[in-house]
Amino acid sequence: MSDTVQDFDFEVEALSYMDQLYAAALRMTRNGADAEDLVQETYAKAFAAQDKFTPGTNLKAWLYRIQTNAFINTYRKKQREPKRSDAEQVEDWQLAAASEHTSTGLVSAEQEALERIGDDDIKDALDALSEDFRMAVYLSDVEGFAYKEIAEIMDTPVGTVMSRLHRGRKLLREQLKEYAADRGFTDKRPAAKKESKGGV
Amino acid sequence: MPGRECEEALDRLFEYIDDELPQDELQRIGAHLKTCPPCEAEHQIKERIKNLTARAGGQTAPEEMRQRILASIRSASV
Repeated sequence: MSDTVQDFDFEVEALSYMDQLYAAALRMTRNGADAEDLVQETYAKAFAAQDKFTPGTNLKAWLYRIQTNAFINTYRKKQREPKRSDAEQVEDWQLAAASEHTSTGLVSAEQEALERIGDDDIKDALDALSEDFRMAVYLSDVEGFAYKEIAEIMDTPVGTVMSRLHRGRKLLREQLKEYAADRGFTDKRPAAKKESKGGV
Repeated sequence: MPGRECEEALDRLFEYIDDELPQDELQRIGAHLKTCPPCEAEHQIKERIKNLTARAGGQTAPEEMRQRILASIRSASV
């Protein structure tokens, strides 16, 4: 154990996550200036609290938790995004699963359209999600955190993480279908319904 | 109409993709996907979107911010 502690250079290790924290901050705040301030605040807090970090545990998740808390405390108030109630988090995605068993032809049209979607459209679609969905999808897809780690970072039960992932990804997919239709990659048929929430 | 196996596979697809399932379920669903084109197509779309999101997410921290943070850490730790 003493080896790990001696070899561990908090500064070097923590700073190695700056690109990732910045990218996450951009998705959280949706604004470059706020993202920079948020990352700076995150590092200031992390360095002030570094004695509380146990070497050998997950530093990346620890930093994300600090950043998420800082975001909630500082920026969420500023951004005034409407907060959804827990009642909306009812886990109804299992009911919807059977309807995903669509015909292969429709699905392959969607697949082809997805091939042509650009990164900017994906970023826009992600930004259009409300905060909790956006963060869950981001932490899983971009950062590759396990459900348990996302639960810790977002301070919520694993079941809620799963529910947010299901709903967030569903909305993201609908949004991408719309973009694909707008760009003429598909016909309008599958994208008739829009289910956007919050600050879109 | 999807059968029981399809229902289970579709329910668990995100967990399958996110590598959150125990080994036995992972294998059972993997085996089902091999034999069921509609479920496999749904699997591919979900995985594709996950990969697209992952690709779009990367971002490099602005150099000026990096320097500012380094400077504030150095001055605090001296």
